[in-house]
Amino acid sequence: MTRKFIRLHGFGYLLLAPAVIYLVAFQFYPLFETIRLSLYDYSLIANKGMSFIGLDNYKFLITEDDKFWKIMWNSVVWVLGSTLFQFAVAIPAALILSAKLRSRGLWRGLMMVPWVAPVVIIGIVWKWIYDGHNGLANYYLSALNIIQENIVWLGDDFWVWPALLLTSVWKGFPYIALMLLSGLTGISKEMMEAAQVDGATAWQRFTRITLPLLKPIMYVTGMVAIVSSWTKFEMIWALTNGGPGFETSILPTYVYTNAFVYYDLGKGSAIATLSMVFVLLIVGIYAKLFGKEND
Amino acid sequence: MKETLSYRTLKYMSLLVLMVCTLFPFLWLVDTTFKSTEEMFASTPSWWIENFTLEHYTWALGEQGMNIGKLLTNSIIVCTLTALCTGLIACLSGYGLARFQVPGIKLVIILFVLAQMIQGPLIMIPWYELASTFSLLNTKTVLVLIYNTMTIPVGVWIMSGFFKTVPKELEEAAYMDGSTKLKTLFKIMVPMALPGLVSISLYSFILGWNDYQYSLILTNSLAAKTVQVGIAEVMESMGAANWGGILASGVIVILPIVIIFAFIQKLLIEGLTAGGIKG
Repeated sequence: MTRKFIRLHGFGYLLLAPAVIYLVAFQFYPLFETIRLSLYDYSLIANKGMSFIGLDNYKFLITEDDKFWKIMWNSVVWVLGSTLFQFAVAIPAALILSAKLRSRGLWRGLMMVPWVAPVVIIGIVWKWIYDGHNGLANYYLSALNIIQENIVWLGDDFWVWPALLLTSVWKGFPYIALMLLSGLTGISKEMMEAAQVDGATAWQRFTRITLPLLKPIMYVTGMVAIVSSWTKFEMIWALTNGGPGFETSILPTYVYTNAFVYYDLGKGSAIATLSMVFVLLIVGIYAKLFGKEND
Repeated sequence: MKETLSYRTLKYMSLLVLMVCTLFPFLWLVDTTFKSTEEMFASTPSWWIENFTLEHYTWALGEQGMNIGKLLTNSIIVCTLTALCTGLIACLSGYGLARFQVPGIKLVIILFVLAQMIQGPLIMIPWYELASTFSLLNTKTVLVLIYNTMTIPVGVWIMSGFFKTVPKELEEAAYMDGSTKLKTLFKIMVPMALPGLVSISLYSFILGWNDYQYSLILTNSLAAKTVQVGIAEVMESMGAANWGGILASGVIVILPIVIIFAFIQKLLIEGLTAGGIKG
């Protein structure tokens, strides 16, 4: 019995083993370590070792840390804002690229460049564009008479958010557009032509045929977009370091600030754990809202 | 259907708008790096370059810069090792995922999906801890190890998609000829899926090259620091004092990525979208 089992499946397990062992050792085990450390008072600066304090880190964050709830709210704005606006740009982009175009592959590839470019450099480029004195943003907006005086985009409590979201959308929309594009190519031309013959307008064809057929892929892509804007704190760190003050801090940047600026590993781990709970919550709600029809 | 002229115009105008919106930051970046410092800070910015200069690139590549040569070498070594590692594991486990319906395969798939979520801030504190316990802080080794946690889940996933497109008959014929399973994998399957394998390895290289967060916490000296962290540091310390030099360094760092991407984009996009549709 076992012999037969090994002969039948042994090679399969052997093939899967390297990746599975790697992920368990280097991702799942550290994740449990994060949860464990969150129960300790563990600061590298205090230099007094670790001591078990149960849920005190959580209690402090939730009841005493006056920045925590603001940062929580920022996280929601960041994740939902990025995802929604990315879709808002990606849908028209995908429609444009799904049309019959000369050298379409080239345009599709060029569209992907922001997505594939390193976030540090993107941060620098956009900082240059948003610059308060010599930035292109101020120059164009005042040339068009939209603003009267220069705005220090990344240093202003209000404007920093639109600026950040714009950059995030610009960096993230190509991936979504790419996925939608692959969904669009699966929609049959005959169906579209038949609808047109029946007198459906372009808008009707879009809302009644294209969108419903795209739903499954939109669902999956939306999930990916939520998770990826969640697990990466790099974009915000490269542009604003979470500032001015804590104005654009989100949970992932707060993990970094606590663990690697204040060297409080215990509290950092507690924030990381909460942030994981939080993303699971969002994904859960998302799946509940949109998942049913896509099973 | 015959296309009307106005439809064609609309189509290409929209394409133009899309391309301008997507690419203007890069064009502005490149444009700026060839201007003299004076021109860069002119009160009315212009796309026209009055005094073409290479001084920013000389600064970026030169002695007084950030030692970009050493940083680039670090990045290249780390990312090449990451690419090789991921390539090998994606070969083995991707094949396993594509062809061997072992009991528990559902669990393995869930593991791969979850692994793509367990990234960055969720695991960086224990990684820092472990790295210091094993004296791996500031080494290229620890970067290769952690970069593989980003690249293996996606690499195996995409690779299994490529393996699935290889006709089963080829393997069966090889077995008939008495070839072993491992030999079949490397003599038949890998050569068939080679373009795919190359593209996911190069994609891993890109992911490693672009990383900022892991290198930021795990390295702080020239021995291992990657070029991204190096540039971010110079940006922090000099900032507006040397925009030209920093932007020129940015061009130098982006360039290899764009070239690699141009080379693999067709296959990579195929792999990515195939995975996305299946979910």
